[in-house]
Amino acid sequence: MAHFIVVLLDDNRMAKLSGSGLEDKIKYMFGGELRCLEVEVPEEISKKILATFDTARIDSRGAITDVPVAFLRELFNQIAEKKSLGPEVLEAVLAKADEIKEAAAKESEYLPPPDIEV
Amino acid sequence: MSSLLIQTPLPHGGRLVERVIRDKEAAKKMIKGCPSYDIKPTLHYETGVPVRNVYREIMSICYGFFSPVEGSMKQAEVERILKERRLLNDWIFPYPLVFDISKEDYKKLGVGAGDRLVLNLKGKPFAILDIEEVWEIDNPEELAHKTFGTPKDNPEVVKEPFDKKHPGWVIYRSLQPIVLAGKYTIINEPKFRPPFDRFWFPPRKCREEFSKRGWRTAIAHQTRNVPHVGHEFLMKNAAYTGDVEPCHGILVNAIIGVKRRGDYPDEAIVEGQEAVSTGGYIKPERRFVSICLWDMRYGNPLESLLHGIIRQNMGCTHHMFGRDHAAVGEYYDKWATQILWTKGIPSYGFPAPPTDVPYGLTIRPQNMREFSYCPTCKEMAYSESCGHKREKLSGSFLRGMVAEGVQPPAIIMRPEVYKVIVKWWKHFGYPFCNEKYVINKEKELEVDLEDL
Ligand SMILES: [Zn+2]
Repeated sequence: MAHFIVVLLDDNRMAKLSGSGLEDKIKYMFGGELRCLEVEVPEEISKKILATFDTARIDSRGAITDVPVAFLRELFNQIAEKKSLGPEVLEAVLAKADEIKEAAAKESEYLPPPDIEV
Repeated sequence: MSSLLIQTPLPHGGRLVERVIRDKEAAKKMIKGCPSYDIKPTLHYETGVPVRNVYREIMSICYGFFSPVEGSMKQAEVERILKERRLLNDWIFPYPLVFDISKEDYKKLGVGAGDRLVLNLKGKPFAILDIEEVWEIDNPEELAHKTFGTPKDNPEVVKEPFDKKHPGWVIYRSLQPIVLAGKYTIINEPKFRPPFDRFWFPPRKCREEFSKRGWRTAIAHQTRNVPHVGHEFLMKNAAYTGDVEPCHGILVNAIIGVKRRGDYPDEAIVEGQEAVSTGGYIKPERRFVSICLWDMRYGNPLESLLHGIIRQNMGCTHHMFGRDHAAVGEYYDKWATQILWTKGIPSYGFPAPPTDVPYGLTIRPQNMREFSYCPTCKEMAYSESCGHKREKLSGSFLRGMVAEGVQPPAIIMRPEVYKVIVKWWKHFGYPFCNEKYVINKEKELEVDLEDL
């Protein structure tokens, strides 16, 4: 069974997608309160992702989760650049695996907190 | 009065264990001239990372969470637990609990049966152990397997052999070989650091709190998580169970202990749970948050048995159990806990549920399925009621959202709860437990001690 990765979209990311032709692929979850794209992951690439990033796992919905934030950031960049949700965006992300791992090592100790009043 | 009313249950074993000396002068006299030992964390048998601190067991035993257990177990008791999950006094109990030390330390101490050993924590006298027996664990790997079960011995619920990826198995595999068995008594009460101090309701105090609030019936909710709305709906709806009316109260009991990387920090868990009530989603009059110290064994049905014991001792009449209760990985059937509480698991010594065997429990299970958002019903819907396609919410998806810095919508996580996550994120520089947090937590623990 093919898996998928959810790419969350905030206003910033929505702006970068405008004119990409991907607008009609946007999904609305939780009563429209959450916008996202779903990237289908073929079996072979899914195996590669799990082998490359040891935190990655497949949740009860069949979604690949717990990949580094840097992975998701790069995935969005590739989607915006290639204007596609096809396997080539995943290939492009995996080509940068070393770079992502390096960033991931840092983000396993520090992540900048969101700037909200607490 | 209706004959259907359920009364507050007796503690497991009939009476609450309380082994805490509060008179410092008496305590000083009790330990005069006794040898002492600095409590050491249990270290992972391969990596050397702390996986357990026996101080948490001593606290939970002496304050009565684990009644009727009174101390570190004798060999015959451990053997009986592994065979039929019963203490020597016949009351059911899931896990061996021992005070284990290395052979070198044993030689150095030179203690034996009949001796009183003072246990120091963070450099201060903390408790005593009155040694009744010294015995040896010859094969910790076998002990670990027998503690959790195997697919061959427990085919009803065990799906995969346990191994070093299972944190509970690792705890037993990592025990030191010499066990000093005997009763513990706390002689110098530790003080919880904020925010844990306001969540400390040991069984006697918890029962008093229930009667102050007029709760005859209370349902327990086990947690080691910051709550999302799915958890909130589970609590709200499970609480409709009661006797002639819904349960009067909901007791959230968070298990506080050794952490794994990627877990939420304990501080965020207790305050996040509290925020569900202060935010009014389940008002504070109906629900409060408490803690119990324990390094999770992740034993799914066995862990649920311990949870039943803890919460019955705290005075709860009901306990909610969901899918993959206290589980990690795919070792157990994901409904193993509900199987135990509805049919029993003969291979663990339960031909009937723990409520239907002699010397069993009286707390009632409330087995729940799942809540998730239904875009058609436009609400959080129960899996056994709603017939539409729902949007399942997994904890790891939510963690991913948090890590990316995206605030989850209020239908997934209440803004008050999210704020608590961010508060502790700012404090620790990380939304989850990173390596620094995990190491520091086992160094600092949750408590401080004064001089005796
Ligand atoms: Zn529905």
